Parts: sequence; structure tokens; C-alpha cells
Amino acid sequence: MISFKLNGQTVNVEAPGDTPLLWVVREHLTMKGTKFGCGMGLCGACSMLIDGVSTRTCIMPVQAVANRHITTIEGLGNPQMMSTLQNAWVEADVPQCGYCQSGQIISATALLSQNNNPSDSDIDIAMSGNICRCGTYPNVKKAIKNAAADLRNGKGRLQAVQVFDPTATASPETQEVQS
Amino acid sequence: MSVTEQPLTQNKQTLENSSRRSFLKKMGIVGGGLVVGIPLTGCASVKFPNAMDGDLQPNALLQITANNDIYFYLPRSEMGQGVYTGLTTMLAEELDVHPGKIQVKNVGAHEEYANPEYGLQLTGGSNSIRVHFIPLRQMAANVRMVIRQAAAQVLQLPLDQIQTDNGMIVANGKKLPYGDFTKVAAHLSLPEETPLRKKADFKYIGKHSKRLDAVAKSTGSAEFGLDVEFAGLHRAALKRCPVSGGTVKSFDDSKVKSLPGVKAVVSIFNGVAVVADHYYQAKATLPVLDVQWELPETLSDFSSDSTEAGNGKQLFKAALDSDESDNAHKEGNGREALKTSDTVVSGEYWAPYLAHATMEPMNCTAKFTGNKLEIWTGCQNPGVAAKLAAFYGDVAKDDVTVHSTFLGGGFGRRISSDYVAEAVSIAKASGFPVQLIWSREDDTKRDYYRPASMAEFQVGLDKDGNIDSWNVKRSGPNILPYTIDEVTDAMMPGFLPDGMVDWISKAGYGLFDGWTVDPTSVEGLFEDYDANHKSVDHVTVDPGLPVGFWRSVGHSFSGFFKESMMDEVAISQQQDPVTYRLKHLKSNPRLANTLKLAAEKAGWGKPLPEGHYHGVAVHASFLSYVTQIAEVSVNNGQIKVHKVTCVLDCGLAVNPEIVIQQMESGILFGLTAALYGEITVKDGAVVQSNFHDYPILRMNESPDIEVIIVESDEAPTGVGEPGLPPIAGAVGNAIFAATGKRLRSLPFKLS
Repeated sequence: MISFKLNGQTVNVEAPGDTPLLWVVREHLTMKGTKFGCGMGLCGACSMLIDGVSTRTCIMPVQAVANRHITTIEGLGNPQMMSTLQNAWVEADVPQCGYCQSGQIISATALLSQNNNPSDSDIDIAMSGNICRCGTYPNVKKAIKNAAADLRNGKGRLQAVQVFDPTATASPETQEVQS
Repeated sequence: MSVTEQPLTQNKQTLENSSRRSFLKKMGIVGGGLVVGIPLTGCASVKFPNAMDGDLQPNALLQITANNDIYFYLPRSEMGQGVYTGLTTMLAEELDVHPGKIQVKNVGAHEEYANPEYGLQLTGGSNSIRVHFIPLRQMAANVRMVIRQAAAQVLQLPLDQIQTDNGMIVANGKKLPYGDFTKVAAHLSLPEETPLRKKADFKYIGKHSKRLDAVAKSTGSAEFGLDVEFAGLHRAALKRCPVSGGTVKSFDDSKVKSLPGVKAVVSIFNGVAVVADHYYQAKATLPVLDVQWELPETLSDFSSDSTEAGNGKQLFKAALDSDESDNAHKEGNGREALKTSDTVVSGEYWAPYLAHATMEPMNCTAKFTGNKLEIWTGCQNPGVAAKLAAFYGDVAKDDVTVHSTFLGGGFGRRISSDYVAEAVSIAKASGFPVQLIWSREDDTKRDYYRPASMAEFQVGLDKDGNIDSWNVKRSGPNILPYTIDEVTDAMMPGFLPDGMVDWISKAGYGLFDGWTVDPTSVEGLFEDYDANHKSVDHVTVDPGLPVGFWRSVGHSFSGFFKESMMDEVAISQQQDPVTYRLKHLKSNPRLANTLKLAAEKAGWGKPLPEGHYHGVAVHASFLSYVTQIAEVSVNNGQIKVHKVTCVLDCGLAVNPEIVIQQMESGILFGLTAALYGEITVKDGAVVQSNFHDYPILRMNESPDIEVIIVESDEAPTGVGEPGLPPIAGAVGNAIFAATGKRLRSLPFKLS
């Protein structure tokens, strides 16, 4: 059994230690916001924050995240309560097909948590690990700048919610999950 | 049927499209679908979710409940191109409801959702906004009218005192929701020709309105095919023959069956599938699953980098140089006119096979309950998917239910439903409800690729250096036979014996040898510029790698070929590429206008930063007109695209922001192809596998893009694809300006 914090909740998972974190979250915990794109850590669709760092979870063994803090797109906000970046994404009409956008927002969150006034080149460096086949890059850049401005003005937060599902019946601290 | 048989008119693109349609009809692959508009009759066989007593359900597309909930059943597939917002905006306009108030639902498969132009429930060809622009608005206007009529009846007021505002009836100074009148309206007969709003009165069309799917897609809550989940669902991975078309000779699953999570190992029509509790378990077994393959005949002998005669690029070159060609189009004296030319400028161009590489790999979920079959998938062609599912699942077509999701990218890849056939076959053989997930490697190696193409131009000039004759010959595979091959199983009546179906299906290949030309093989090579004489010839050469519709289809290579050639001609005459193009666009004023505007916006001919050069390209496709000017520098063999100025005339822009995004999207998609895109083949197997060897443009490599939309009162035309065709030409022409090197092959390589 491997235990870690997922969006503020402790979860215990029965899965082989070398199982990629992505599949534990998607199939064992059935949280589908984080996507599968390449399986080689090349495209960023599977990005989650591990202790605040944007990480490719399709190649991250679940045993390596024991006792660490994981944040997925669901942990940043939900349709009723979005984070500043998610709001900026909607305002700038960023998503096209939308499939890569969870990963884009996770990487942007990691960037703004370190730097609330990123230059174009800071943004390029932080976001170049996330491929978008629809080519939403111009609007991704615009949304990041808008969100950064909101944060600098004290009008925003990178995480709008602490717990993925406020209606979950499991106790907020521990959720047992079987494989 | 061929382009040649059509008389010339000013609008050649319409001709091409109608020729494609008539071709499909003659091939018998157009079902008994709708030709014009959406019928306003109720359809008892369509089930509406949330149906309540008192709902107004005038057709399969719209439902207004007594609670004033308004549901729009989206007939086209949302794959990023924006129909979810665009079609809803059009409906909202005439219904007089804010688009954000309408709840949009993805629909399953039903003939009521047929694309009015194709007769199939197909999303493709950049036609969604165009073909629904009148019918959808007319339907909504009629519905708004019937609600007003019902309100007049209930409130005992004359109709002209019943107005509407954002989903409310406004009468006697009061506002009452539409839902208050749906029960009465449902019993009135629907008016048919309610006048539509004029452009000056539009509240939503042409204005900026937010993408209606942006919240779901920014919070991880939008459901894609891969996100489908239910109790008892198993996951499958499929081992396919390295060579497309290969089948299973034998297999040994002894090392696999005892591995963790494995529930079944089954052989299907194109491979051996492992069904497990989890995807990572199923996928982990494939390396130790031993399968012997029956290789297909032709493709196994093909290697695209081979220098042997009759192989690789040589095969295309030999075909091009042969006398065996079919004429696709002729104007004036055609190629004969070359004899009297003052000068002939020639050029030979190449574009490789390309994969679609949608971010969401192909996938499908299939579940049998007795003789009933349900499938979940995001696809561009749910009607054909349903029929293929019935065929491979051996159930009646009426017993198949399709649940549609958002598509994690389409670009033409999801017109084909091969992954549906596979998932259904695995579910049937294993007895488990399964989600078949393709790995990125599966997705890269088993595509319906953009066909590799070679073309040779011979452009005859008069004594003043102007174009007298435009002659082009293309060699390469055709797309339509592969499409026919796939849909034949699905569309043929069930009583035909299998042998007959096979015969009809295979006949598609022969059809292109000798008496007709697939329009998608030559589109865009010849239409845009004025010339007294034109000829377009075609030689089919097909190594057997499956090909399909890739964003902008034939225009994806012809835009590059034609615009590079035009640059060569202008430069050979020491003429400015913009001025020279304009001279030859007199019959194409909308394209000429985009060129003039782009030259002005980009500062064509004015000084650029040190080491930066401009290249220009124009191209009309999908009834839209686009010019792009690329600003490029070349240092130590490294090509950097700094800026792209794009001017588009797509008629009326329904959602201007989405139109701009689609231009950006097409440019970046085309730039990936221009700088990196290449699928190669070794002994019939695709060499590339993932994003390390089939790279996609990243943010740090993306240029600034400025998009200008031409103000227009014309009806809307395509935007999903037309942004792509000019970009490679614009960049190639800028590289020539920078280096003096004419790069005639894609992707661009300077070393």
C-alpha cells in the first residue's frame, strides 16, 4: 500500500510500485482531468504538481511519490470555483480541443508560484515541455500574463480549492482505494 | 466525375466540392441523408434526455423545457475548431437567447444529425458553419416565432405586441420565460419561412462571445473518449502487425496469461489483444506476447529511404516521369500551349507522408449487453462508426448506441473509425466491456497518413514574362479508395454476400487508374492564378501505406508546391513576388485583396531587422481566401520564423475570436509540417513512434502571429483548414530570400 496526499486528501493505493502515477490517478482513483498523451514524458499532457513542481506523471512510479503532495487540475479549482489561471484561460478563450490544457495549466501554475512577473522567455522556458497540437500557444501566453498581473495586484490565487470533490462521502482525511 | 468534365465557372472551388460529392454519390457511399437543411419534423426515434411534459421539441436539435432549460443537440463534432460555440451562437441569435444560456449536448449517431452537404454525420471539410448557417438559424427563427404565437394566444394579445429578449417573452411590460409557453407552442404548427435577422441587428453573430466549452476544458471536467469510466470496465491493448494490413498467422500467449491483471487474450482481424484490469497491465504484456504475422503483399516491400529503382521516392519520380497519366483538368490548349511559350520555368516538389498526432491517442470503449452494443468514442463520423460497430459486433444496426464525447483533436484522423472496429471486436471476442487505448506509438505507426506527393510544374511565359500556361502533374496515392474501403463494410446492405462486398470495396482502387482522378489529389495545384491555358495531370502511385484526410487534405501539399513555384516564376522574371502575384489574380479579387492587405500590414518591401527576410504565399481553400507573410531568419542553417502576418477572407466571421484562433492553429500545424514533419517507412513499417522522432512545434519555437479578418457581408466559409496551406510556401520563399536556396522538399533541411 502506497500513501500520498492528493489535492489535500491522504490516499492509500494498492498498486505495484512501478505503476506510473498517471494511471493510478486515472484508473484507480478515477480522476480523469489529467491526460495521457505519450507515455514517455515528452508532451506534458500528464503533468501534475509534485510538491509544487510540474512533473510528467506518465513516467513517475507511484512508489516515488509516497508521502508527497500531489496536485492535479481538479485540485486547482472546479467549474464553480476556478483558480486565477483557470479564469484567465476562460477569459482568453485558450482551449481548442482542450486535451492538453490540464497539463498546460499545471505547468503555468508551477511557473507563477515561483515568478509572478514572468518575461516572454520565462514563459517559453516553463511551457516548452507542454505540447499543444491545436497551437493555442499565443493565447496560453496571453492568459499567463493576465493571471500574473492579477496575482501581482493581489487579486488572485493559484489554487481555488483544497479538496477535489467537496461532496465526496469519504472522510476528508483518508480515502481507501483498492486496485 | 473528374474535374475536367465540369464546365468552368468563376467559382472553381464549388465545382471541386460538388464534384467530390457527386463522386461519393456515384460510389454509393452517400446514405439516404439530407440534402438541404434540417427537417423541422419531429422524430420519434430520437430520444431526448430530460424530456418532461410540456417540452417543445420541434426537431432532433433543439428542446425547450417548461423550466426554460434550452438544450441544443450539437450535430457536428467539437474537436477544437469551435462548432460547440459557433453553431450555438447561430442558434442563439435567431432564438434570441444568450449563447451561454443554452446547454449544449454531444449527440450519438442518428441520420437527423447528417451533415447537410455530405448526407453522412460527418464533421470535416471546414463546412460546419457554412452549411448550417441558413438552416440552423431558420429553424431557430421558426421556433422563436411559434413561441411568440403561443404567447399571443395565451396572453390574448396581437402578435406584434409579443417581443422577445434573452429567452423571455416581453409583453405588456412583463417578462415571461419561453418555458411558460412551450406546452401551447408544441401544439401549434411550426412556421416555415420566418424572416431572419439582418446583419445590422445581430446581437451575438460577429461579436466576441466566449467559448462555451472553455470552463470544462480549463478545469479537467470535459469528457473525452479516454475519460469514459463505469463499473466493470476493462482495458485493452492491441498488438498489431508492424506492417499495416498484416494479419495474425499464429500466436503464443503462454507468457502473458499469468501476468498481473490479465483477463483475456484474443485474436481479432488485425492483431492480438490483451484485456486486463488496468491499461498499464495490458500494455506491459505486449512485449512478451509472441505473434507470427501474415504480411500484406505490396507494402512490405516498400522503404521510403531506399534508392533502389521502383522504391522510395524513386517510385514517385518514376511515376511522374512516365507517360501514364490521367488528365484531371484542362483549360485552353493545356500543355500544348508550352510549344509557343517564350520561356518555360519548371520545378519539381516533394512532400512526405505525415501523421495527424492528435494529443488524445485513438481510443474506443465498447460494451455488449445481450445483443445490444454501446460504444463511447469521440469521432468525426459517428454514423459510420455505428455501422462499423454493428458489422464487427455482428448485431443489428438499430441495436448499436453511440455515446459521443469531446475529441482530443481530430484534424481528419477521426473520420476513420478503425479503433471502433478494433474495440468492438475485442469486446465481442473477450466477453468483457473494454476500453481500447492506443499508445502514442500505436497512434504514430497506425495512421491514415497525409499522402506523400510529388509534383512537377511547367509554367509557360509570354514575351512580357507573364504566365501563358500553367501545367502541373502530380504523382502519389489517392485518399478516397481507402475511405471507400473502410465504409463499404458499414454501408453495404447486409444481404450482400461477403465476396460481393469485398469486390465492391477493392474496386475503388482500380477506379482511379485510367478514367478519373480523385479531386483531393490535385486540389489547389492550379486554381488560384490566371493563365490562358492550364493542364493538370495525375499518376496514381501507391506503396500501400493507408492514407486519409489530414487537415486541409490536398491543399496541405499543393499550397506549398504552387506558392513556391509561383515565387520561382516571379523571381525568374526579376519581378516582386507580391506585384507578380497580383498581376495574375485579376479573376480572383478576394484572394488579391487579402494579398494587398497583408503586404500593407506586414510592411512588405520595407526594411526589416538585420538578417530578417519576408516570404509571401496566397491560397484559397474551403471557399476561403488567405495570404500569409512570414518573417524568417537563417543562422548557421537554423531556420527561425519570427512573425507571421495572416489576412483571411472567410465571409462573415460568426465568432471572430475563434476565427483568429483557427488561423493561428492552422499556421502552427502547418509550421510543424514545414520544419519537422516526416513519416518514413522501412520494409513496410513506419519508422517514427513518438514525439522524440515525430516532433511537434513547441511554444518556444512558435512565431508571433497577427491575424486580420477581412470585413465581409458574404456568407461564412471555412476556417478550420484554410489557415494551413500557405504557411510552408511563405516560409520557404522567405528562406530563399534569406539564403538564395530554393527548398523544394518538405520538411525544410538546409544542410
